Amino acid sequence: MTGEWMRTARLYVRLLGAQLRAAAQYKADFLVMIFAAVLSQGVGLIFLAALFARVPHLDGWSFWLVALMYAMVTVAEGIGSLLFEGTWRLAAMVNSGELDYLLVRPYPVALQLMSSAVGFNGLGNLVLGTAMIVVALCYAPLQWSPLQGLILVLLAGSAVVVKLAMNLATNAASFWLQGRNPVVAYAMHQVGELARYPLGIYPVGLRVVLTTVVPFAFTSYYPVSYLADGVDATIGLLTPAVAVACVFIAIWVFRRGLRRYESAGS
Amino acid sequence: MSSASEPVIRAAGLTKVFRSPDKAPGLSGSLRHLVRPRHTNRAAVNSVDLTIGRGEAVAYVGANGAGKSTTVKLLAGILIPSSGTVRVAGVDPHRDRLVNARQIGVLFGQRSQLWWDLTVRDSLEVLRDLYGVSRTQFTERLDEFDEVLGLGKLLPVVARRLSLGQRMRADLAATFLHGPAIVYLDEPTIGLDIAAKDSVRMFLRQRVAAGTTILMTSHDLRDIEDVCRRLIIIDDGRIIFDGDLGRAKDAYARQRQLSVQVDAPVDLAALRAGLPEAQVEQGASTRELVVVFDRFAHRATEVLDALTRQVDVVDFRLQEPQIEDVVRRVYRGELLVLPPQGVDA
Ligand SMILES: Nc1ncnc2c1ncn2[C@@H]1O[C@H](COP(=O)(O)OP(=O)(O)OP(=O)(O)O)[C@@H](O)[C@H]1O
Ligand SMILES: [Mg+2]
Repeated sequence: MTGEWMRTARLYVRLLGAQLRAAAQYKADFLVMIFAAVLSQGVGLIFLAALFARVPHLDGWSFWLVALMYAMVTVAEGIGSLLFEGTWRLAAMVNSGELDYLLVRPYPVALQLMSSAVGFNGLGNLVLGTAMIVVALCYAPLQWSPLQGLILVLLAGSAVVVKLAMNLATNAASFWLQGRNPVVAYAMHQVGELARYPLGIYPVGLRVVLTTVVPFAFTSYYPVSYLADGVDATIGLLTPAVAVACVFIAIWVFRRGLRRYESAGS
Repeated sequence: MSSASEPVIRAAGLTKVFRSPDKAPGLSGSLRHLVRPRHTNRAAVNSVDLTIGRGEAVAYVGANGAGKSTTVKLLAGILIPSSGTVRVAGVDPHRDRLVNARQIGVLFGQRSQLWWDLTVRDSLEVLRDLYGVSRTQFTERLDEFDEVLGLGKLLPVVARRLSLGQRMRADLAATFLHGPAIVYLDEPTIGLDIAAKDSVRMFLRQRVAAGTTILMTSHDLRDIEDVCRRLIIIDDGRIIFDGDLGRAKDAYARQRQLSVQVDAPVDLAALRAGLPEAQVEQGASTRELVVVFDRFAHRATEVLDALTRQVDVVDFRLQEPQIEDVVRRVYRGELLVLPPQGVDA
């Protein structure tokens, strides 16, 4: 059993490595993408700083805690681009019938898909996001203990998993839509951006949606809420459970979708 | 036929229905479709029964759109049948996808399985890891393939720089790399020049000789004659012929054609009287004759004898029945039912 898991993980790295090798042929791309990522994340940060120059709190949250939420989404996106960028190719692959060969290889289709591309912009996001988290943790008014540190790691990891699972599930909509572009996933990705700010600033209906239907609030707001002992601290503790549920749902949706796959005429 | 060996591929009532949207042209048609979608169902593969024995080499032939690729995808587990069943070496290819993947190889001539931006060697190495082929076996197989496919020169080349023929040879190596027992080849010679086709055919013959079960589609019937012993013809989703290649020729391509050059004009009527079963026609000039005859009704020497009794034959050329003729007639709808197959064929 563990042997099988090891093989799966090793091959994932292998497939991703192949993409890395392939992408290394385009060095200019590499630098431009990292630069673009840092720029777009930086713009958001500048906005955040400008906002807090005017108001001391956002729905009761101080600058460093909001920065922490913001950075968690940045890191999750960075990991998504760097290690799971292939997810975004599903629409094109379903549309053109390129999934054919993946289906005849002895390795899970979803993992072959996710490892089929590397997004170097992720590196920019990851570095910038991590730096922001470190700085924010230093300045934010948090109580620290070893246990708290452990929980932080667990919650942060779960938050990333929620984001990745949502990516997979929303991209799997392409099995039904069959268009060339992942329109649903793009739209949901934009919805996910809302999670960069405290949930309380949104109307109650939207809060419910972001907690249940598309639980992006678990990618940042709820975990930070737990750490800062905010209003929704207990819900924050549920993040790992939500992550597990999201993974199961994503796999289920993907499998259902795969059964609809019809290849292409030629 | 397959009676000698155990079946490895078995399909019963295999059917795949595609649902396509009925859209009136233009924007208004698209909008109307959004409001009230209408669809047409079309069976691309219709109640196909297939039994293929271990080690058989089967040609799967049919006109464009007949359902060949769809059948291959059903057998490979890429598509789920709308109805009917498939078993390949004891497993349901779609349900037991991972088990199935280890025992089959697939090649779609239209589409490469190589990594676009990697060298051929890198692509093969990735596949080696995916299938868990040992390094020694990997080297052995590459050496073996190299003889016919000329892989050596291709290994350091990035896939996107390969010509079509080079790409196909590299793809063939990729398909057979893990030593699959069953291989599906969908148009493995599409777009290749004569030399490249020859090396592909020779390679496939070797694989068949080594015991691989092969099902192959092609529009080039030379491929089929070179590689396969059994012919299956599909038309509009249904199998309309399944039998030995030689037997198909005997049954349907009985017409031989003798082209003769003579030294003086001939009396056609007299000739025709002497060869009642044959068709005797004037050729391009008065010095040329074309005799078409059933090879079971007349022997070629008989026809020649009848000619030489009247005229001096300067030169002649005998044209054997071609598998093309069989298939062409099938496509034209002339041969719809096959004669009953002998039990001990
Ligand atoms: N993914 C698909 N969706 C809808 N219809 C399809 C699909 N794939 C094939 N078809 C239809 O099914 C029929 C059979 O197609 P298929 O590709 O199996 O033919 P083929 O025998 O391989 O033809 P060719 O010699 O042109 O490759 C065609 O009418 C085609 O339009
Ligand atoms: Mg085809």
